[in-house]
Amino acid sequence: MELTFVLINAVVVACIYGLIAVAVSITWSSLGLINLGYGFIFSFAGYGAYVVALYLTRMPVLVAAAGILTGALGGILMCLLVFIPLHDKPNFTTRGMIGTLAISLMGSQALLLQFGPRAKSLPELFGSKSIHIGATVLTADKIGIVVCSVAMLSFVVAWMKGSRRGLEIRAMMMNPHAASIVGIGIRKTGLYVMAVTGAMGGLAAVLLSQTYYVSPFSGLTPLIKGVSIALCGGLGSVQGAVIAAAILGLTEAVTSRYLGGQYVLITQFLVIICILIIRPRGISGLLDKGREQ
Amino acid sequence: MSDAFKKEPLTWHNPLSAWGTAEGLDEVPSVTVPDPREAWDANTRYKVKTHKVGRLKHYVVWPHHGEKLWSRWRWWPTRRNVLHIHGLYNRKTLAAEKKIDDRRPIYWMICLLLLALGPFLFPESMQNTLLSAGAIFGIFAAINVCWTLILGTASIFSLATYAVVGVAAFITTWLSIRLGLPWYLLPPIGTALGFVMGALIAVPALRLDGFYYALLTLGLNELCRVFFTTSKLFGSASGGLYGADSYIPDWLSPMGQSWLGYYGAFALLLAALFLFRFINGKRLGRILRMAPEKREAFAQACGVDYRRARVQIFLITSAAFGFIGGFYAAQYRGVAFSIFGFDTVLLGLAMLTIGGIGKAEGAILGTLVVTFLDKVLIDLGPLRHFLIGLIMLGVVLFLNKGYFGIKKQFDAWRDKKRGEWRSLRSEKGGEALPEEATEIDDKDELFFRRFDKVQRDHLKKMICPEIIEEHRRRPLGQHSEALERVLYYFRRSPMEDKYALHHIAATDRYRIIAFSGKRGVSPRVVEDREYVTIEDAYHGIFMRRIHDLMES
Repeated sequence: MELTFVLINAVVVACIYGLIAVAVSITWSSLGLINLGYGFIFSFAGYGAYVVALYLTRMPVLVAAAGILTGALGGILMCLLVFIPLHDKPNFTTRGMIGTLAISLMGSQALLLQFGPRAKSLPELFGSKSIHIGATVLTADKIGIVVCSVAMLSFVVAWMKGSRRGLEIRAMMMNPHAASIVGIGIRKTGLYVMAVTGAMGGLAAVLLSQTYYVSPFSGLTPLIKGVSIALCGGLGSVQGAVIAAAILGLTEAVTSRYLGGQYVLITQFLVIICILIIRPRGISGLLDKGREQ
Repeated sequence: MSDAFKKEPLTWHNPLSAWGTAEGLDEVPSVTVPDPREAWDANTRYKVKTHKVGRLKHYVVWPHHGEKLWSRWRWWPTRRNVLHIHGLYNRKTLAAEKKIDDRRPIYWMICLLLLALGPFLFPESMQNTLLSAGAIFGIFAAINVCWTLILGTASIFSLATYAVVGVAAFITTWLSIRLGLPWYLLPPIGTALGFVMGALIAVPALRLDGFYYALLTLGLNELCRVFFTTSKLFGSASGGLYGADSYIPDWLSPMGQSWLGYYGAFALLLAALFLFRFINGKRLGRILRMAPEKREAFAQACGVDYRRARVQIFLITSAAFGFIGGFYAAQYRGVAFSIFGFDTVLLGLAMLTIGGIGKAEGAILGTLVVTFLDKVLIDLGPLRHFLIGLIMLGVVLFLNKGYFGIKKQFDAWRDKKRGEWRSLRSEKGGEALPEEATEIDDKDELFFRRFDKVQRDHLKKMICPEIIEEHRRRPLGQHSEALERVLYYFRRSPMEDKYALHHIAATDRYRIIAFSGKRGVSPRVVEDREYVTIEDAYHGIFMRRIHDLMES
């Protein structure tokens, strides 16, 4: 019973953070950009959903769609402000990272100015029903979170494998220079990538806000966790991110159950440090040679 | 051939015919000669946008000798010169002059003097705010100066700086409260704590690189934050831990305390600058700069033990961070949890980015800007962080290496533009370009080149089938004015590459050669064609020269 509970929690947590981790990973491997602005995208998308829920409709689908679209908009904004002006400038990786941090700083302050410091809550998307399987109780929000995350991830993976745009993104992942030579526009592809990864951040925001609230700085923890998972899985590897999300989700669930919530970060970082010291490029990270700008 | 002017057939009257002519040619059919002023006007009219040129790198040059005097003075106890001055003689006046090659020590002195005198210059109404902001500036500038050693000199993206400072500050504060340690023991204990933390941070740094390390250290920072905020031992209820002993005595007036705090922080900044200079400018700094990330293999092949250097830099800077942490506790009687905040790291990064990563002056300027916005303009509220973000974004978007990289970036841009302007001036025609003109001492040469070009432009207008036919008929003797002007120009050409005729005695034919222009160096044969008569050969040379003129 207890083990099942821990496992379910682990899966739920892994699903949400996995979304951000996969987003970070895809952005890094295709654009070479470490986007530390997902914290802002997260809060931005949360507020997008909140505004729609407050003024337009409380229909769960529409609220979630608003969150996803605002997240995509945040991603596009990030791309237009940082990636496009910087991608061909010297020292792009560091400058790109600092640029996304700057936008994150500005964005959070703008949200703070606009909405104030008080946390806002989103309407419940999945209702309050629960399913009993044997002794295990599955609440609607947990099922919803898992289903939505898996659906989004499957959609992104299928889109990347099956569509023309996905092919372009995969070409960029392999060799951005060669991709640009054969006519794949770096800027256009950058916009697609950032929009899709922003949408993933947006979905994560909507899902996580079921449990927590939306506030200007609420994106920080998901960002740090998402980035740590991406790092632990190996930047640039989707399956690595999924594996790392599962491991760290399990760590989080086990720690919060047996040691207490305040030790979650400590155990997580210890796990990450151990993994990284054994495998410096993460669980299945690309080697440097695999992606050279 | 030019049809630019109207070739009115006229009869040319030989001015010397009054004395009689050998062939009775006192009048010949001719063409009109265009007005030479037209060519001058056409040449002096601007065609391409011109830009001011000259010696763009401007140096202040002082009178009299001075190189030897200044090269004797050293910064005690180093062997470095106080100022790099180089002596020279003015090329025009031959007067002795001296030039300061590196004026940075002077700027440093002025800036540090301004910081030292700052409290006396602050307006009365703002004095308290500015003094406390100045103390924060001093401490954060010291942290950033040390941090830039890791980020810039060692080029390792470590974000664990504030974690080390915070841990040292918290533990020293706790020790001071529990054991009643006096303030002067806090920085040394902090140093020891920092040293231990440095050893811990250095281990993953040897395995990881780039963003893996950056994110790991960011995680470490977050870990410390969570640990200290949730730990009851370190005052989880009160937002921080306070109550340590301070070097600022209680009996001093509030203003006196502020003054003492300001100068304490200023002394800390000076110590950090000394450390920066001591590492960055010496062997360790050079080794680290030799082995930046991704180029370790090359450095290793050159015999650089970069692992050792990295461990050393981590130990030294972390000990320094520990010292600063202890000092922080002794200055503010404790420390708040915000030292571990993501915002603190972000603002620290903003400070370094604005000034330029890797330079002590950059770290200080960035700290000044950010501290001013953050601590002095408090009335702006959240807008001030927005402004900091805006500046940070602007710097990242437009500047390659922060504020102190502007000059280099501007120079590179100017060179690029200069190349573009130069390529725009497609019509050079043998004239000196403005850039090379500044390098030619004999300015007569420039005037001659310009005159020559104008003259060639003028002569080109006269070349027409009529004068060629005239020359073919009579290569020697009196010619019409147009042909005579062209021939005068040809005769006056310099010896180098001047055409001449070579009479081949064996076949009694003529060949065109060109003089080398150098004594002892034989002329070269220009073409294989041989001329039977000397008149044909003269005309052959004439045609070659006309060809060269039209091509020039």
